Amino acid sequence: MKVLILGAGAIGGYVGGRLHQSGADVTFLVRPARHEALQRDGLVIKSTKGDITQKVKSITKVDQPYDVVLLTPKAYDLDSAMDAIAPAVGANTTVLPLLNGMRHLDVLDVRFGAEKVVGGLARVGVAMNEKGWILHTSPFAAISFGERDGKAARPVLTELDAAIKKSGVDGGLNPNIVQDLWDKWIMLCTLAATCCLMRGASGDILEADEGREIVLETVDEGRKVAAAAGHDPGDKGITTIRSFLTVKGSKFAASMLHDLEKGAMVEADHIVGDMIARAKKAGIATPNLRLAYAHLQVYMAQRARKTAK
Amino acid sequence: VKILILGAGAVGGYWGARLTQAGIDTTFLLREKRAEKVRKTGLVVKSPKGDAVVPVKVVTKGGEGGPYDVVVLACKAYDLDSAIESIAPAMGPNSTIVPMLNGHAHFATLDGKFGAARVAGGLARISGMLGPDGEILHTGPSGVSFGERDGKPARPSLVELDAACKKAGIDGGINASINQDLWDKWIMLSTIAGMCSSMRGTVGDITATEDGAAIVLETLEESRKVAAAEGYPPSDKVYSGLQTSLTTKGSKAVASILGDMEKGGQAEGKQIVGDMLARARKHGIAAPNLRFAYAHLQAYEARRARGGLK
Repeated sequence: MKVLILGAGAIGGYVGGRLHQSGADVTFLVRPARHEALQRDGLVIKSTKGDITQKVKSITKVDQPYDVVLLTPKAYDLDSAMDAIAPAVGANTTVLPLLNGMRHLDVLDVRFGAEKVVGGLARVGVAMNEKGWILHTSPFAAISFGERDGKAARPVLTELDAAIKKSGVDGGLNPNIVQDLWDKWIMLCTLAATCCLMRGASGDILEADEGREIVLETVDEGRKVAAAAGHDPGDKGITTIRSFLTVKGSKFAASMLHDLEKGAMVEADHIVGDMIARAKKAGIATPNLRLAYAHLQVYMAQRARKTAK
Repeated sequence: VKILILGAGAVGGYWGARLTQAGIDTTFLLREKRAEKVRKTGLVVKSPKGDAVVPVKVVTKGGEGGPYDVVVLACKAYDLDSAIESIAPAMGPNSTIVPMLNGHAHFATLDGKFGAARVAGGLARISGMLGPDGEILHTGPSGVSFGERDGKPARPSLVELDAACKKAGIDGGINASINQDLWDKWIMLSTIAGMCSSMRGTVGDITATEDGAAIVLETLEESRKVAAAEGYPPSDKVYSGLQTSLTTKGSKAVASILGDMEKGGQAEGKQIVGDMLARARKHGIAAPNLRFAYAHLQAYEARRARGGLK
């Protein structure tokens, strides 16, 4: 099984590094500068699960198809990511995206054909520093993946499952990948929408008289959209999301708020805008998300203006 | 007429400097630090109506030189409690307070403390701010208006204040419908402050988004319903004027509260937005957008209180 990983950034670098370390055939598709650095210094991982610096295979141009292509771009970089991996996607290739939200799946289906695209989800606290080191800080590191139609996994996913288990990364094959993607999206969409609209951490929002109600209503907006798509998280799933988002005093904030306060690009269209678009299609009212998206649109327009200067 | 002005910011400072220039008996009641500065340099005014350096009378205790005929409150709404304490010794039985605060919440407090008979209505339309050196940077209009809240003819001290303002070149003066004007200004302010703060942008920024103009108009309508329920609906002319000015494409208009928040400062959220929302609740009026704006302002205060602002 030959695996191509687009980029050697935070998630791709960590997962790919662990796979390579455990003997899997992994190649990183990277930009020339990153290629040079990787060839010179190796791939450096500093992790709660053990540090390692290792030589890895990297290329700047694809010249053959791969069995699995793993991609973890920001949602707004998806188009250029697809262009980059296109030559690696052959007749029997499986494309495994690790992005939040759902829209990327539609886009990938159109480009490569739905049968080549599987669902994937990452759960890992990892970042890359200015030296290109992969800094894994969370006690956990998991990716999961599976067929979106719930059928038995194709052989290459079974192989990938074995390789992941061997590498010490948690997770692996997930027969409920689509439901899990929806559950995570509802949580993320609420967190991003409320943290950005209120410009505060989860705990700051809960200090407002009606902060808790606003958060719970927003969860419900996402839940209705998921239900209309046939993926209601169920009471247990919703309880998990609700409790996670209503921890008094929590300093936890959406990464979108951090991006926004740095003046960076935000995945607003993908995480919040697409939820609203699906709600509209299904005739579901999303007043809270609507205000949040207006806030994010103000930010994006301001940023575009500054960047143009 | 003997006037005491609490505060020497853009409104109080500009107004009092012009009154002093016109020879009106005006005294400023200031905090120690500001008093020291103003005593040393005088009030420095930069204005399209003429720059000036005006030596003014300054006291730091309300009891000094009182009682006064008119006591002008030119402080932020969140400083009301300390302002009340400061002016109490300056008040005689015939003194009249003219508060220049935004919103309506201050009236109940002032009436409770001094009796409604000694509290008139007041409204400032002076735009400006303090410069880095405490100078008053006056930019736009320079109007103040004041009047009896029950709509009766103005008491003698207000008539005298009106004459003093005219002599000093301050626009406005006695206003027979001060309560209506206060409500008109408040529904404008609750909308612009609520929207500019919770969207973190100018009127033009908000209007440029998909639903921005609709959201602004809904918010204005929420406030209009509250004003109507309180007995002060805006006239059609005023209302359509607000609808237009608050949804003008490309408008750089912005609520001053956003500037305060971007500096990490205190914000008048409770008085401008919170009180409007509370009144909406009292009258059973749905105000979903004001609710969000107020939650934003409260989350801001919570984050500010824990030192979580960058």
